[in-house]
Amino acid sequence: MKLPTLILAAAACAAGARAADLPTLWAERVKCTVAVEYITQTELERRPTVAYGTVVDNRGTIILPSAAIDLRIAPKQIRDFKVYIPGDPEGTPAEYLGRDAYTGWHFVRASASIRSRLVPVTAFAGPEPAREAALADEVWGIGIRNKDEDFTPYILRSGVALIQLLPQRTAIAQQEVAGPGLPVFDRDGHFVGLGSSSFGQTFVEFTGSDRDGSPIMLVNIEESSAFLTAGEVLPYVGRVPNNVFGRPLAWLGAYGLEPMDREVAAFLKLESQSGAVVSEVLEGSPAEKAGLKAHDIVLGINGKPLPRFKPDRVVVDYVERVIAAHAPGDTLDLSVLRGSDRIELKASLAEEPRLVREAERKYFEKLGFSAREFVYGDAIARHSKVSDLGGVVAHLVKPNSPADLAGLRPDDWIKEIDGVEIASFAVAAQKLDEIEKDPLRTESVFLVSRGSDTAVLRIKLR
Amino acid sequence: MSGGFERLLDSVVRIDVSEVNYEDGARRIDASIGSGVILTQDGLILTNAHVAGPKAVDINVTLSSLERVNAKLIGWDHWTDLSLLRLNLDDVKRRGLAFKHAEFGDSDKLYVGEPVYAVGTPHGLTRTVTRGIISNNNRYFEDTQGVDGYETGNFNSWLQTDAAINPGNSGGPLVTDDGRVVGITSRAYLGANNLGFAIPSVTAKRVVAGLVKDGSITRSYIGIIPKALQDLEGFYDLAVNSGVLVDSVESGSPAAAAGLKAGDIILAIDGKKVDGRFPEQLPTIQNLIASLPVGTSLALDYKRGSADGSVTLVTTKLESRMGEEWVSDTWGIGVRKVSRAFARENQLPDDGGVLVIGVQRGFPAEIAGLARGDVITKINQSPVNSLDVIRATDAAYAARPAPTLFEVQRERRVALVVLKP
Repeated sequence: MKLPTLILAAAACAAGARAADLPTLWAERVKCTVAVEYITQTELERRPTVAYGTVVDNRGTIILPSAAIDLRIAPKQIRDFKVYIPGDPEGTPAEYLGRDAYTGWHFVRASASIRSRLVPVTAFAGPEPAREAALADEVWGIGIRNKDEDFTPYILRSGVALIQLLPQRTAIAQQEVAGPGLPVFDRDGHFVGLGSSSFGQTFVEFTGSDRDGSPIMLVNIEESSAFLTAGEVLPYVGRVPNNVFGRPLAWLGAYGLEPMDREVAAFLKLESQSGAVVSEVLEGSPAEKAGLKAHDIVLGINGKPLPRFKPDRVVVDYVERVIAAHAPGDTLDLSVLRGSDRIELKASLAEEPRLVREAERKYFEKLGFSAREFVYGDAIARHSKVSDLGGVVAHLVKPNSPADLAGLRPDDWIKEIDGVEIASFAVAAQKLDEIEKDPLRTESVFLVSRGSDTAVLRIKLR
Repeated sequence: MSGGFERLLDSVVRIDVSEVNYEDGARRIDASIGSGVILTQDGLILTNAHVAGPKAVDINVTLSSLERVNAKLIGWDHWTDLSLLRLNLDDVKRRGLAFKHAEFGDSDKLYVGEPVYAVGTPHGLTRTVTRGIISNNNRYFEDTQGVDGYETGNFNSWLQTDAAINPGNSGGPLVTDDGRVVGITSRAYLGANNLGFAIPSVTAKRVVAGLVKDGSITRSYIGIIPKALQDLEGFYDLAVNSGVLVDSVESGSPAAAAGLKAGDIILAIDGKKVDGRFPEQLPTIQNLIASLPVGTSLALDYKRGSADGSVTLVTTKLESRMGEEWVSDTWGIGVRKVSRAFARENQLPDDGGVLVIGVQRGFPAEIAGLARGDVITKINQSPVNSLDVIRATDAAYAARPAPTLFEVQRERRVALVVLKP
């Protein structure tokens, strides 16, 4: 008599979870979502930004989508991180941990005082192996309103319309199903994915004078209909960066990868193959040392042919992710097509050279601009030899300042100051400091490089 | 009104030009109207380069008698925005038509405030005379893409006048009250009130002589971009009114090879002192170098920091950033040869390749994804170093259409596309 009773109870429980308990499931799962606010502080302004994140462990670790923080901004310039529990107007300070190159996620850690109010999304993972969203599954997710509405959470419901490899397994729902960076669940409340950036949708806009309408693409930045499936999320939530720069960063140095489309593959008699064309091989890079050449077509990595994606350009992200999954020092076997020859190359990945966001910078109030250390990427961008790294870059030019009036523009490469060649950032900083401190100084002359030209600029200080 | 002025009126013509244009990826004909002035009884007509240039396929001249006669291009010089045409004299004789020719005056003798008249056919309105004064007789401006994408204004100064100048005035004469041509009306600020500009007759006379002789003007090039010193004499510790600042040295140029650097001050050219204190003085200095025969050995004295130096360099031929254009009707693509100057400007590795200037919708090039701005570097894995290469592949394709592989440089990226029938 005991056994039938048990079955009955379980059946009742399951039925209840499927229908009536969605608000209950939602209320529990909202606890794994937060709003994160931070300030971008540049020389001239302080600007707040809000993003939405998901809690991934018991230590208050939160992941934010890649787009939440502009990669060009130096970590030093983003500060005052605050975590808001949805519905609560009080924020608590948090720490920025950095960005993981492989997933693209930014990691933030909430302070201990609110950790008891957070529940990691892993608690809703359900039994192993993780359930992968499938076509026509009913799914629901969480959205969060703006700050002036106390980041009130709300529910979104939809069904899976399509599953694509982009290159991560991505489910596309019929309509918006979660805020970007916020979780998606199935009807049993199991975690099935994480909202990604939304896809643009094309609408036709009609105006008074244009009765035929013209198509415009709109992107919903508050809610997304696309989500990374659980298998692309759960195994990687532990990839907390060691530092704010996300180092170590594996680097190959094959620049400007372009997809090889089907037509080109057919022309080259590589019918079933996918590939990535290398536009440039960067100076001193592992790719150069391995003997990779510009215009080579990468067909496979580590013995595995590059998979075919729709659209073709996804293959570029695929290659970049393969590299990011490795560490500096690892070896990558590359199968390459050069002209009509197949070549096998071995590249030993290196640590990525210093990035713009890691460069030193300093603002010079009187001149009205900030100088930034000239880094590897600057030399590449300017078609310049990496061996003559020198000078500094005008990073920001204050409007109507002496530097602005003299014609200095952001991104100008300052090579000489007052006729003296600038060998390093330290030399420039010292020279500019002297100029600013000298009360009798009336002018300073910069030699700057801009595109293919140079210009001599006279900065009037008085 | 003087007799000279009456005569001048009979020498001014309206010019209707049909010009071919490849920027839609197809051969299209655009029509435009300008003015011109007859210089000789054998039918030479002076007008602007932007009125009639090498892309003109039909040039129709309306004489002051309102009779229309065809003309052909003798030569053009976009740097000074001047073109020289010749009337079809056989036709003139056969039809017994008459015209007068104008005389040049001396633009160097003009004074600011002197009354002048612009004669031309603004908006096609024939025999329109507007009156004004010389507002400035030494105006400087240059425009890297001012004449249909070609450079202009580096080697000449301009006359500025407040005589009303409207579209269609271009190429007509600016004259003194005795009817002598002191300038060729060329441009005006649109939206401004009576700020018009003309090429001075001293420049025009020289260019006409060169075009009559060779059909083109050849200039020398050394590859420096000069800048006025303005008040930098103190900084560079120079005597007042001496030297011109080198703002930029073009990579791969004779000046770069000779070791000249941006920030150098050129003090003398072939021992002749130069004075580039003000922008207005730059065309004279530029012209001094440009007027030398190509291949001339030139000594430059310069100052770098506190040190003096001297270099000798050999001039090369000045080239435009624009290259020859062509259109493929089979692929629906308009292309332009990449020039040395264009390659330098855009930091391309070399001047190989052809630039896509237009694609026609629905044609193979557009369907394959080629776009304006792409540089085609290879076709079927062979380099494209001239328009002839692309012409030949196009002819082969037209005869026997087959998938064709294009390699293009798109900004910093290399893209492969296949064009299919």
